[in-house]
Amino acid sequence: MDFEIPESLRMMQETIRRFVKQDLEPISDKVEEEDNIPEEIVQKMRELGLFGLSIPEEYGGLGLGTLGECLVYEELTKTNACFRSRIGTSNGIGSMGILFDGTEGQKRKYLPRIASGEWTACFALSEPEAGSDAGNVQTAAERDGDHFVINGLKHFITNGDVASLATVIAVTDRKKRSRGGITAFVVEKSTPGFYTGTIERKMGLRGSHTCELIFDNCRVPVENVIGGEPMIGKGFKTAMGVLDKGRLTMGACALGAAQKLLDMCVEYSKERVQFGKPIARFQSVGNMLADMATEIYAGRQMLYHAAWLRDRGKMVIKEASMAKLFCTEMACRVADKAVQIFGGMGYMKDLPVERFYRDLRLYPIYEGTSEIQRLVIARELTKD
Amino acid sequence: MKICVCVKHVPDSAAKITIKGKNQFDESINFILNPYDEHAVEEAVRVKKQVGDSEVIAVSVGKKDAINTLRSALAMGADRAILIKTNIRADSVITSRALKAAIGQDGKPDIIFTGKASIDNEGFQTMYRLAAALNMSVASNVIAFSLDQERVLVECEMEADARGIIDMPLPCVIGTSKGLNKPSYPTLPAIMKAKKKEVKIIDLESLAIEKPMSSIEILELKPAVEERSSKELKGQPEEVVMQLIRVLREEAKVL
Repeated sequence: MDFEIPESLRMMQETIRRFVKQDLEPISDKVEEEDNIPEEIVQKMRELGLFGLSIPEEYGGLGLGTLGECLVYEELTKTNACFRSRIGTSNGIGSMGILFDGTEGQKRKYLPRIASGEWTACFALSEPEAGSDAGNVQTAAERDGDHFVINGLKHFITNGDVASLATVIAVTDRKKRSRGGITAFVVEKSTPGFYTGTIERKMGLRGSHTCELIFDNCRVPVENVIGGEPMIGKGFKTAMGVLDKGRLTMGACALGAAQKLLDMCVEYSKERVQFGKPIARFQSVGNMLADMATEIYAGRQMLYHAAWLRDRGKMVIKEASMAKLFCTEMACRVADKAVQIFGGMGYMKDLPVERFYRDLRLYPIYEGTSEIQRLVIARELTKD
Repeated sequence: MKICVCVKHVPDSAAKITIKGKNQFDESINFILNPYDEHAVEEAVRVKKQVGDSEVIAVSVGKKDAINTLRSALAMGADRAILIKTNIRADSVITSRALKAAIGQDGKPDIIFTGKASIDNEGFQTMYRLAAALNMSVASNVIAFSLDQERVLVECEMEADARGIIDMPLPCVIGTSKGLNKPSYPTLPAIMKAKKKEVKIIDLESLAIEKPMSSIEILELKPAVEERSSKELKGQPEEVVMQLIRVLREEAKVL
């Protein structure tokens, strides 16, 4: 077995580490306060190539494998989570539908623009009545000659306001639904009848905008069906494929944040003196550090192994769900302990610990809840 | 214009060095491009852009893993690289002779940039020996560099608050220091491109360099024990503040 990280990926980790230290950390509090990432930082992300991690080289991206993408995310989530979120949809859910199921024309038209960061892509699936039950989307696309007319409301759409392009999941046959009645469209933001709704107020992840998208008689040509005419009614599979791919990268995001919290806790507990000695020397604190480190180690092995398998062309449905489930829930446990170790300071906004605590709470929810991951794992275990 | 950059593969200063046996250390730790050499690569690439129609060649003497440091230089913008491969721990005499031979084979450059020292051995000698061997002018501790046709103007840090200004002809060897520039970290596309750039590997033995009359041998390695002691600053508040600023600047080097 070879556990060595390839040199080019190690160099990328180093680049992200420097980017975090020099450019992101200094403005993290400001971004948190203003709930906005400055344009010059987004521009720097474009120059670094961060919008095209997983898009193949032939379409202008870096063509990184799953492990490469995970390693980049792991480093990038050691700071304010919103920065990773800004690039997340373009690298993942916003572009992968086009990459997996799009026509060659759609790939050539959209992927280079997404990879360069010129256009941000988002993924419009969630609705008030369709969360984990994705087949229950109410947004409808009615055929009208060589067009579809889309009507409906999407919500909780990450980067919905800054996106120039959305992968939209809509029902085209209410009777069939997930069995042939859901279609995936690529819709440009400039299309008449496509609007950004309310920007939602969240518990955390400030700086990353989550919003409603409104479709009001939005006419899109049939060629905007992802995969074209033959893929009408097959959008549920596209949506699930997109979410499936994102599971490992979500695990990586949780892992990076958990590692950062552990590093902060180790440093703090060695410096913070109570009862005449550093708190790290108290068994109760030492136990917490040990548990955090052990869980992080377990999560990392799981994640890298599943990523490695996927890069070797193996099906990793079960392993990816396990890694997403474990890493995201583990990071929440780590954050809880981190607040406890920092004590009162852990609850204060002067330090980033409370921000990690709030931000991480989203991870076991979005891009497939823990409950859905367990369902997938159980289904894989018991299938004939 | 042909520009060479000599770079060294050194242990990361943040790594925990564990001594093995009498004079070896555990080399499974992270190694990096020598930080002073980063300034050299950055300046070489800047000069290349300024002059146009130029080539930057990164050269290193070291074990096979030094190729990773050459890849870093390529990702920062060098065009191709040469690794002089050896398992011996080369001192500045051997290193400069090896560099001279390999650079000579490749064709004499107009400028050679290299860090003023490597952070592992801190010999501060390689650039002088290389310049002497190639009969080129040399300046070290360079914190400002400008090129005008066939002449180079550099500012060198002599000691705190003292700078020397040297006007020198090409070809020359420049020992770069902090303050010369701010090395940029490579972008991810540049790292991907660097994978495809040429790295020529030459065995040190094949260069048949002249055996030096003397060389440095490391007899024993010992961990450095940092002595900690407290110091009291005395005087009027204004004086104490000035003393504190001096200590922070010159001793702690945090300002």
